[in-house]
Amino acid sequence: MSWDPQRTGALLCMETTQNDEIEQLKEQVRQEHEMYLRALADFDNYRRRVERERTSTASSGRREIILPLLELLDSFELALQHTRDAPSSLSEGLQAIYRRLLNLLEQQGVAPIRSIGEAFNPRVHEAIDSSPSNQYEPGTVMEEVQRGYRWGDELLRPARERVAA
Amino acid sequence: MAKAVGIDLGTTNSAVAVMEGGKPAVIINSEGSRVTPSVVAFTKAGERLVGQIAKRQAALNPENTIYSAKRFIGRRYSEVQMEIKNVPYKVVAGANDAVRFSIMGKDYSPEEISALVLRKLTEDAAKYLGEKVTDAVITVPAYFNDAQRQATKDAGKIAGLNVLRIINEPTAASLAYGLDKKTNETILVFDLGGGTFDVSILDVGDGVFEVRSTSGDTHLGGDDFDKRIVDWMAEEFQRDQGIDLRKDRQALQRLTEGAEKAKIELSSALETPISLPFVTADASGPKHLEMKLTRAKFDQLTADLVDRCINPVKQALADAKITESDVDEVILVGGATRTPAVQALVRRLTGGKEPNQSVNPDEVVAVGAAIQAGVLAGEVKGVVLLDVTPLSLGLETLGGVMTKLIERNTTIPARKSETFSTAEDNQTAVDVHVLQGERELARDNRTLGNFRLEGIRPGPRGSPQVEVSFDIDANGILTVTAKDKDTGKEQKITISGSTQLSKEDVDRMVADAQGHAEEDKRRRAEVEVRNTADSTAYQVERQMRDLGDRVPQNEKARAEQSISSIRQLVKENSSDVEKLRQLTSDLQQIAHALSSAAYSQAAASNARTAGAKSAPAGGADDVIDAEFKQTK
Repeated sequence: MSWDPQRTGALLCMETTQNDEIEQLKEQVRQEHEMYLRALADFDNYRRRVERERTSTASSGRREIILPLLELLDSFELALQHTRDAPSSLSEGLQAIYRRLLNLLEQQGVAPIRSIGEAFNPRVHEAIDSSPSNQYEPGTVMEEVQRGYRWGDELLRPARERVAA
Repeated sequence: MAKAVGIDLGTTNSAVAVMEGGKPAVIINSEGSRVTPSVVAFTKAGERLVGQIAKRQAALNPENTIYSAKRFIGRRYSEVQMEIKNVPYKVVAGANDAVRFSIMGKDYSPEEISALVLRKLTEDAAKYLGEKVTDAVITVPAYFNDAQRQATKDAGKIAGLNVLRIINEPTAASLAYGLDKKTNETILVFDLGGGTFDVSILDVGDGVFEVRSTSGDTHLGGDDFDKRIVDWMAEEFQRDQGIDLRKDRQALQRLTEGAEKAKIELSSALETPISLPFVTADASGPKHLEMKLTRAKFDQLTADLVDRCINPVKQALADAKITESDVDEVILVGGATRTPAVQALVRRLTGGKEPNQSVNPDEVVAVGAAIQAGVLAGEVKGVVLLDVTPLSLGLETLGGVMTKLIERNTTIPARKSETFSTAEDNQTAVDVHVLQGERELARDNRTLGNFRLEGIRPGPRGSPQVEVSFDIDANGILTVTAKDKDTGKEQKITISGSTQLSKEDVDRMVADAQGHAEEDKRRRAEVEVRNTADSTAYQVERQMRDLGDRVPQNEKARAEQSISSIRQLVKENSSDVEKLRQLTSDLQQIAHALSSAAYSQAAASNARTAGAKSAPAGGADDVIDAEFKQTK
């Protein structure tokens, strides 16, 4: 067998194209693997969040029922302010209904937010306005315009109030 | 892996969205809301508050609560004299005529304030996603100049973000609707937000957007609409009762909430009741506000506001040197575009074109920014567009019903396997009939292929285990494999084009299934009754064979009678469901009697042996133990 430079050249050439192809494929595999990891990570995070959200979805469903109920409670409280002139038997009856309503919400974990006399805290309070007061320290809540409620650790709605300046 | 987010940094509210698995999702902030007020407050206690919390204390601390920082960002102090008049906080001139907010003796640039909003948004996003957020695309109005864009970018940097790009809000909205794929179209974006109104006309071609013109009204928005309702309610009440509710903080609060609720209601209803019991009181007693707001009245109250949108649209068209008929697409952005009168106006001004509004108008800009962020971070390109199977895939099982393995609309690639068995004693082959469709019975569906798995070891029906797997790859190629778990024998078929049905075909097949749903359910139930009857007959027959002469003659005769009736009915494919059910239940009772007879015999014999071993043992547990050994 004699040495044929031309054929060796061809072989070398083939080897380089093969090497190129291998490199290309390696790169392709790397990219595909990257994509796979990305999808896997996305899915994993998604799954974890869905898990977390499942509980919050249930609670936001209840929120939708409780929030309008609180508006009714507001109206009821306003109505009670006018029962002083009413016959006591009527006002006592209304007071009883009101207490039942409060109990019911309490059983659901809904609790009113303390405001009057407390230091203003924007995490649970919302200021409507402020004015000077000789009864309260500046920065404390002097009047509640709308009661706020929390539900466990969650804020249902802030207390709306006037704050001493 | 860190995520890139899209941020709509708004004048009143901001929103942030992210691409997840190739789909944009709006992020919920730590207060549980999808939008965050663009408000920053510095309290006397030295705290910095951002978002809803900052807004809640604004009335108390107006001079240290910065909102609308966007109206100042990247602008010269001398340019913003009009804006300064509208805000309660102190705006001063810094070096080189720069705008500075003076807060408790310290100067802050608008960039620094916006950075605090951006930081809160990205922190909430990181918490929501459970991973770090480093990169962002931030949107700005199309009319923002270079200085305003640069300042917005700087705000991102101050917040520790790598700002991938600043893009125009109307461009983001167009991306959210996938309009970048259009060639040579003209888009009109109508953006009526809480406090600003912007019109932009864009050209799109080869994925590139070009702003042709912009116009708008920097002080017109949804808040103005609310105020009109409040004023109307208050004026009506004053006319009737002589009391101005706007002077009473508590009543005004309730009026404002009532107005917003009414406005939302009127987007879908033609009239809405507004009820504020015990809204106030005077010497004569409590007063209630009870009124009805019709959409016609609402339109009348806000007609001048809606009319203020006309000129900017006309101006934008004129500046772009086009007419309404040149507009190919219209996009609605901003919550106030939900107002029917606004939508009607947009249609009128754009030659009756139906506007794009399927993406929530409060979120569409953030969604588009997230898409752009995804593209720039290489995620969107990298994500393979996942397809779904348009129709269910399954196989024919006993009685000619279709058993679905892969339900329609399952994202592919997908794989599902189930184990089946034989229907006859000593059956040595199973036919796998691969089906596609939504109907209950095999014959009503489309046959994709057929094959037969042979060489199953003879045995009683129900004992061989054949695992059938459906594997559909990302290209929609379906491979169905049947494998005998006992011998390991395997047979498979590959079907391509199972997803390549025309949309019409798919729709027709789905509609067909819906149309026949009732009938199909009945027919499937019949098959199931026949199958249960047949298998009960089979089991009782076996039971009697096993028990041999321990079966009382009269019981045996009754059972045989029922079995032969069932066999006959099944053979005829009878639809007499009642009769089949009756026969099955009779037979089950006989079977029960037979087995308890057999148990008591077995227990009696077993108790003897058990009793010899240990005294307290005995009863049911031992019986089961004995039986288990037997089958072994």
